[in-house]
Formats: sequence, structure tokens, C-alpha cells
Amino acid sequence: MKHVLLKLEPLIWFLFGQGIMLGTILLTAWIAIVGLAIPMGIVDASALSFGRASDLGGHLIGRVVLAALCILPLWKGAHHMRHMLIDSGGADRDATMATLLYLVATVGSVLAIVAVVRL
Amino acid sequence: MARAAHPHAMQSAKPSSTRTAPPMMPAQFPSSGRYRAYTLFGATGIVYLLLGFVTLRVVWALGSGEAAWNNLMSQLQNPLYIAFHVLGLVSVLFVGVRFFSLFPKAQPPRIGPAKPPPAPVITAGLYAAWIGVTVLLGAILAGGLF
Repeated sequence: MKHVLLKLEPLIWFLFGQGIMLGTILLTAWIAIVGLAIPMGIVDASALSFGRASDLGGHLIGRVVLAALCILPLWKGAHHMRHMLIDSGGADRDATMATLLYLVATVGSVLAIVAVVRL
Repeated sequence: MARAAHPHAMQSAKPSSTRTAPPMMPAQFPSSGRYRAYTLFGATGIVYLLLGFVTLRVVWALGSGEAAWNNLMSQLQNPLYIAFHVLGLVSVLFVGVRFFSLFPKAQPPRIGPAKPPPAPVITAGLYAAWIGVTVLLGAILAGGLF
């Protein structure tokens, strides 16, 4: 498994890097509006009524942005958690834990693609 | 408290004739000195992983119809969700500020035939992109555009 992880390292690092860069750039407004401003009543809930949200999310650009918002943070999270575990003395279990974390990110990514396809 | 590091950490590929001390974790690891920011940066991974799944839940609800969407929007008003999103926003801002300050230092001296731009130009470009996308996406999501 370690050999496979090493082979996949360029792809994992690419997704990790984009998770930090693009994930952070996109998540700021997403959390501020969808996670905080609308639930707290600062922005009127009609801004993301079902009809408007469907129109925005159903557009090709909307689907790409939503997919990026789901997938990139998963890979940033999985890879950073792997390295936290190594730093915390878990290097002997790295192959197992890395496989588990990347599996979680992979399943989440596949579900995210399915989610944006069915919009 | 210093403790033994992983025995293979920083190990050379071939045995060396130079005797070296066994690798040790720095005494300040994980929560003192410069390691505090390093550890917090790594810990944001947990928040990002959860943010990815919460976002997935939002997108899934949108594809499941109006009742599911309205139900989810009500659930997001739960104080636990609000507290998580406050933590998420703090994490995202921390990661952005830290990463965008590290990014220019991580550039190679040359990229093909070209030299990368000066560090202040790279940093300014990253912040411009961050602020620009945040304002644009925020305006769209809040109903101010389109």
C-alpha cells in the first residue's frame, strides 16, 4: 500500500494544494453567507430560496464551484490529518491511516460529483 | 518535553560513516513557540474535512427537492451549526493568511525560462484573488448579483 501511496503522491499533493488555495478562496464567502449570514437572519433567506438556489447550482459554473467546494476541502483535510497523525507519533500506522483518510476523501468526492450531476 | 522522534525520520538513504545522534522531537512541539501555528495549521484539516461533508450535505439537499432544501436551511439555524461555521470561518481565514504568506517563499528560483515575480507581487495577487472571489461569490449567494 505504501508503494501505491507514493505513486499517487503527485495527485494527492495537487488536490491538497488546491484544497488550501482554491478551497480557502471559495469557502470564505460560502461559509459567511450560507453558513452564517442566512441562518442568522443577516441576509434574507429568499436569497437562497429553492428556486434561486436551483438556478444557480444548476448552471455549469455553479456545478463546478459546488463540486470544488465539496471536494477540495476533503483532500486538504485528509492530507493534513495524515501529517498530523505522523507528527503525533503515528508513522508506523501511516499506510493504514493514510489509506483510510484518502478513502474517506475519495468516497466524499464521488458523492460530490453525483450530487452536482443530479442538480 | 523532548521525546524520541520516529526512528526513520530524516534518515539518509545509505548508511553514513558520520555518527549522528538519534532523531528527537523538538522540545517545543506541539504547542509552544513556532510549533503552535504549525500544529493549528495542521488541525484545520479536521475542520476542512467536516466543511467538505457539510457542503456535500447542502448540495445533496438541493438536488433532493424543495422540502429537503427548506428542511436543511432550517437545520443550519441550529446553534451547533452556527458555532461550527464560526469555527470554519476562523479556520479558513487562518489558513488563508498563513498559506498566502508562505506561498512566495516556496517558489523555485526559476520556472522554466522565467523567474517568478517578486514576493510582494505574488502576495498581492493572492490577496486580490481571495478578496475578489469572496466579494463576487458573496454578492451572488446573498442575492445581490444574478
